[in-house]
Amino acid sequence: MSELRKDPIGGRWVIMDTDHPNKPEDYEYEPHTFKGGTCPFCYGNESMTPPEITAIREPDTHPNTPGWKVRVVPNKFPALAIEGDLERRGVGLYDMSNGVGAHEVLIESPYHQKDIPELLNQEIENFISMYCQRAFDLRRDSRFKYIMIFKNLGAAAGASLEHSHTQIVALPMVPKNAVEELKGAHNYFEYRERCIFCDLIRQERQEKERIILENELFLSFCPFASRFPFEIWIIPKKHSGYFCDVASIPQGIPALAAILRETIARIKKVFVDVSYNFIIHSSPVNGDGGRESYHWHIEFMPKLTRVAGFEWGTGFYIATTPPELAAKYLRET
Amino acid sequence: MPELRKDPIIGRWVIIATERARRPDQFTTEVQAGPAEKPCPFCEGSESHTPPEIYAIRPNHSSANGPGWQLRVVPSIAPFLRIEGDLDRQGKGLYDLMNGIGAHEIVIETSRHIGNIADLSEEQITKIITCYIDRINDLEKDQRFKYVLVFKNHGWKAGGGRVQHSRSQLIATPVNPKRVKEELAGARNYFLNHERCIFCDLIKQEIRDKERLIFDIDGFIAIAPFASRFPFEVWILPKKHSCDFTSLEMSMRIDLARIMQQVLAKIKKGLNDPPYNYILHTAPFRRQKIGYWKTLDEDYHWHIEIIPRLTRVAGFEWGTGFYICPLPPENAAKFLREVEV
Repeated sequence: MSELRKDPIGGRWVIMDTDHPNKPEDYEYEPHTFKGGTCPFCYGNESMTPPEITAIREPDTHPNTPGWKVRVVPNKFPALAIEGDLERRGVGLYDMSNGVGAHEVLIESPYHQKDIPELLNQEIENFISMYCQRAFDLRRDSRFKYIMIFKNLGAAAGASLEHSHTQIVALPMVPKNAVEELKGAHNYFEYRERCIFCDLIRQERQEKERIILENELFLSFCPFASRFPFEIWIIPKKHSGYFCDVASIPQGIPALAAILRETIARIKKVFVDVSYNFIIHSSPVNGDGGRESYHWHIEFMPKLTRVAGFEWGTGFYIATTPPELAAKYLRET
Repeated sequence: MPELRKDPIIGRWVIIATERARRPDQFTTEVQAGPAEKPCPFCEGSESHTPPEIYAIRPNHSSANGPGWQLRVVPSIAPFLRIEGDLDRQGKGLYDLMNGIGAHEIVIETSRHIGNIADLSEEQITKIITCYIDRINDLEKDQRFKYVLVFKNHGWKAGGGRVQHSRSQLIATPVNPKRVKEELAGARNYFLNHERCIFCDLIKQEIRDKERLIFDIDGFIAIAPFASRFPFEVWILPKKHSCDFTSLEMSMRIDLARIMQQVLAKIKKGLNDPPYNYILHTAPFRRQKIGYWKTLDEDYHWHIEIIPRLTRVAGFEWGTGFYICPLPPENAAKFLREVEV
């Protein structure tokens, strides 16, 4: 008998195929391969991107030249424009505004073929501290209400360039899924005066069956109501509402770098060259933060399946490998 | 300047990219064949390769599970939900779960090996519509079910199978899916404020504005919605208010078949036979109970959403429910209006 499981935060039901769960070898995915060609994110091609916003560089090197370790540039084809006012307006029944926001690309390393597991811990720490620096900086612009940091690796996961990079988008409104998550967490807090994520961490650490890795500050596990097979969350064990705060916790960035690297290394050992997405879920900025009731975390999704009409139409997902089994594969690999 | 547009029903914001916008003809499908085709178990003569039929149209009273049919419904061979058993709702610490009870059926839309519903006759599509209605009405009798989802995955990239024989699916669920609840809640809120159906208002505005209108024929319109999530997303709506698809009278079923056939033929011809999904949005079963939604009949309006799968959905969309549509719906509608079928 398969199970229906409810996501305790968003309230979404997921069908969990516990009857005939897929094993890793049952997934036919499109691997992330390198086709080559000129890459605007490689050393020496700095002039092919818009001028850099900031970078971590060797001493005495100039902007937009080689010598960098992490580089942040505006997206060449931004989905949102940085200048201008929102000008919210109605058109009959409909509401709209100008597409004001920031859309930046963070090039994690100069190495064309290296994904996170192939980098040194120090190199991962560098780009995570840059995530924090950009989030701090964008938060100062009061037009922005939400800062989203996400990564698409591989064409199957929606990446248009193969050189590993992360995107940072500052939005003038809080996106729908974040609103729902905040609302769910807020309702739980109102009722119990506890953070639902903290409770969830406690339960996961007790039950252990969905945990992949744990270090001093972070936990990585497969969520109870996973929408996708081998979906993973990485979450700070201590309550923290806003992602950038990791920078002010002693050993925060090194601990996050270590668990991120090891988690992705394990998923890529089970699924060689798999494409993936991850998204950092954090409290909104410049307004009602929900910091007491919300708890930042990273949601990681390997691209193993095709999402079909059923999922679109209903927001009702079918996970073909239960998280207990997925966690077991990832622990034992 | 790109635009941010809000879906008036469920409140989702969409970025309509204008700077990076592509021309409609730049969306032609990348030919991405799925794995090799398997022998077809859905053709006439192969009835023994499917589980026994639940429903069939057999004009000459031929016997069940043999040849001589025009349309068949069979249980899915790999069902996500099972029909037998109890829900057995339970809590597990913080978490809630229940048994995966439900129904999962396959509608085989033709006895011939035709891949796209757009290539079937209006008469045959009318039979498919009637079959959807009959199956929903039958599943409603099972008190464990709250909703029946009717949808189609056409093409490998849209989640279709390895056999290119036109079919759609029905899934009866013991809970109301999240997306359905949101749509119902959005429509109810609008009704509380205005005492009008939001979809009826939307239809009036689209007929007046014309720029997103693809068809206005018989009792239906086809539009590219104002806050489209995907390029060439199309909605088909009945002009006459009705929350429940199953109440569609026979004469209207023929009209619906005609507009569906024409829209899907335009998508096939204009966009080079892309993969697509369509999903029927209709009211959940309305059984009298405490807290029954009294205005649902007046505030909700059934419709069909068609989504060609031309772009890849990336982390941004998953994580946020915030979509970037690289083609303004006005351009999509104009392009589809001009495709001749």
